[in-house]
Amino acid sequence: MSNHDEELTPTPGQRAINLFRRTDVQRALLFTILWTAVFVILGLYFYPKWMPEVMSVDMKSMERIMIGFTIISAPIAGLVLGIATQAITNRHKGDTPPPDGPAVRTNGPIVAVWTVVSGIFCLIAIVWGIVEVNTMANAATTEAGTAVHVQVIGSQWVWSFKYPDQGVESDKLMLPINRPVVFDVISEDVNHSFWPVQLGVKVDANRLQTTVIHTVPTKLGNIDVKCAELCGLYHAYMETSGKVMTTDDFNNWITTNGGHVA
Amino acid sequence: MTTLHNTSTHSRPIPNPSKSLITKLNMGTGLVVGVIFAFAAYYAFRPNADTAGFYNQQNKALLAAMLFWSVGFLIGIGAFIGPFRWLIGKDLTAEEQLYLAGDGQGVKRYFKYCTDHKVVGIQYLVGVMAMLAVGGGMAMMIRTSLAVPGGHFIGASVYNSLVGMHGITMIVAMIIVATGPFGNYIMPIMIGARDMAFPRLNALSWWVLFTAIPVLCSAWFLGGIPTGWTAYAPLSVQAGPGMNAFVATILIFAVSTAVAGMNVTSTVVAMRAKGMKWNRVPIFVVGATMSVALAIPAFPTFMLAMVQTATDRVFNTGFYDANVGGSGWLYAHLFWIMGHPEVYVILLPGIAILMEIAPVFVRKPLFSYNAAIMGFAGIAGLSVLVWAHHMYISGWTPTLNGPFMVTTEMISVPTGLLFLVMLGTIWRGKPWMKLPMLGLFAVIWNLLIGGITGIYLSDVPADNYLHGSMFVTAHFHYTLMGAALTGAVAGLAYWFPKMTGRMLNEPAGYTAFWFTQIGFQVLFLGMFIAGAEGQPRRVVSFAAMYKYSNMISTGGAYLVGIGFIILLWAVIHSWRKGDIAPQNPWGAKTLEWTVPYPVPLENFDEAPIITSDPYGYGKGN
Repeated sequence: MSNHDEELTPTPGQRAINLFRRTDVQRALLFTILWTAVFVILGLYFYPKWMPEVMSVDMKSMERIMIGFTIISAPIAGLVLGIATQAITNRHKGDTPPPDGPAVRTNGPIVAVWTVVSGIFCLIAIVWGIVEVNTMANAATTEAGTAVHVQVIGSQWVWSFKYPDQGVESDKLMLPINRPVVFDVISEDVNHSFWPVQLGVKVDANRLQTTVIHTVPTKLGNIDVKCAELCGLYHAYMETSGKVMTTDDFNNWITTNGGHVA
Repeated sequence: MTTLHNTSTHSRPIPNPSKSLITKLNMGTGLVVGVIFAFAAYYAFRPNADTAGFYNQQNKALLAAMLFWSVGFLIGIGAFIGPFRWLIGKDLTAEEQLYLAGDGQGVKRYFKYCTDHKVVGIQYLVGVMAMLAVGGGMAMMIRTSLAVPGGHFIGASVYNSLVGMHGITMIVAMIIVATGPFGNYIMPIMIGARDMAFPRLNALSWWVLFTAIPVLCSAWFLGGIPTGWTAYAPLSVQAGPGMNAFVATILIFAVSTAVAGMNVTSTVVAMRAKGMKWNRVPIFVVGATMSVALAIPAFPTFMLAMVQTATDRVFNTGFYDANVGGSGWLYAHLFWIMGHPEVYVILLPGIAILMEIAPVFVRKPLFSYNAAIMGFAGIAGLSVLVWAHHMYISGWTPTLNGPFMVTTEMISVPTGLLFLVMLGTIWRGKPWMKLPMLGLFAVIWNLLIGGITGIYLSDVPADNYLHGSMFVTAHFHYTLMGAALTGAVAGLAYWFPKMTGRMLNEPAGYTAFWFTQIGFQVLFLGMFIAGAEGQPRRVVSFAAMYKYSNMISTGGAYLVGIGFIILLWAVIHSWRKGDIAPQNPWGAKTLEWTVPYPVPLENFDEAPIITSDPYGYGKGN
């Protein structure tokens, strides 16, 4: 093969080197790295800062997903924005159309690689989500025996809580720490959505139809209970508070309210 | 009514159409007949002691009045003259048909039942701008009320109504924002057709939609819509008389979208110019067609949901009433079977517009036309299989959350292809930063944020926390407003010279762009934070801990508001006094730029023949 031929058909290695010598490619890469960093910082620093205290296993899993998905998507977002930013730096000014660009109609390998890579990222997200969902479902089954059962009743526009095993009723949500809890949620009128914010779970309250969610509180502290489904005039005010307390405190609370420890 | 029997198309000489009834009908006669019908219907169905046990009297009378208003208006404007002639074995005369096309009738034709697709396009454009202005005004009131904690500015009842009215007004406006004006005005020219496949249906689709607008507005005088735009049952069954306006609006709107969707798809399938094979169709036409084709199966379920809401409210049928064996989940399913395809009905044309714009402004071919088609088709196909991700936490069947999570997250792959097409087209080009092109870059950012936050929401454990929070509101505003509306505005800037004969004022356009886009980021960044912090959506009042995020949002909202006021001024001013546009100001290669302004009645003197796709830009092409 002559030198002349080599110039016409460079080896793949040579082609890669030539590609990275192009200033537009270098600039796009630089912007890609910068944008990726922005998203990584967003995921690692800002999300945990914005979200309320993690007080249950579900809230922990939710936080993991928010951070994890942000970091996974950071390089993709970085690449998209990197290319776009590079294009902006190369813009054409004036009132006449720019000179013709290269007449590239498609690039088979790029389309294939792009599709496969986005498919892989999608698969990671799907598998992660399914594993988390299954873990929760399994935990709900295995821990059901030891759990505290709470009947949550939504009505326009108050929440009330019954502890059937303990024989207590309350308008505040009191829970013992590190013990699984099962919420049986029902509505007396229209749809509501039971949302103990710091516990990271939520389920709709439907008329005559019990819905169930499960979690394990892992941290002492206050809980905000809200309604997350527009339920009429005073939807915004359909909130109450609650507390995750030590087992002793919880038992005390039960007995002072006329119940029995179970 | 003698004119109705006047003559057949075969008679000669052709009668003067000025004697025909159709020349005497217009929006005014429509309003008169519509109002008469509405009052007559209300009187006929008025509260009546004999049937008091069977019906909810007020709902019955109001619904009847609203639906008869629509029918009456259409009769009054002459929409049914053609079908009536068919019943008696005749049709409109050739001259009457020519009259309906509105040629040479000046501004008057915009207030008539006009079959020219360009007139219908302008009617849609003005209608959409009015709806966006009203919906935007309501958004400003909502944000003003949320500027400080506690909800002192607006009462709970009015606030809930504002949320519902803003939502449904914007959804209706966004469904037609691209396919209405550009799908009607530009698309037939783009494919080399002389008009739509069914010009009279085209006029019908607009005027049916038009009758929905006063119906929706009547909700304000009937106690408002307290349910949000989702109108979940049983809240909607419990709601007051204003809810009838919502039900009637959707019933009417569903007819309009069905008619328009059928017409657009028929036009694209059957009316393309000679030589315009499927792989030579401009990408906007592909995207818009997929969008309306997706709407055809989607909207009937919404209509059904509303029919059942209506019968629940009027006859106590109890479809959604658990007390008598119904279920609110039935409503949620019917609603979201429409609701999720619907967001792509909104999104696809916006993206397709940008794909049409990009090659023109970087002077490169569209990168991978096939990938664009696969992206649109993949999204449209998957979008009908994902509806229950809106119901993860409804509790209807938790075991099915997994499958719906899979289908939902799969949408990220075809969406990725749309990004690839846009990026591949601008890569190695020198983008000409005119207004339409700025829209492309804004949408790349906005759709990316909307897309990534959509992946969080599609994940069941994350949705357990985020569902029903302000995070969701911010997410769908990024996709619907940040991507779809920005795409449509880019389309307006791009096709403004063809639709009005004048250039859109650039300094005002740039100012509006930066105000709206920067304001938009501030507004919804604040809302993302509020949602992540745990603030539910649709709340009139919020706790002090969400003070700063809401304050940021409201500040951003005012910037967006200023931006849109500037844009509105730019559009009105440029339409009246802007610089006269050359025939092809952007140097584009699609067919609409080969016709002069004003575009002649049947668009082309000679039917165009297509020999290549319209993206032959670039060196050596």
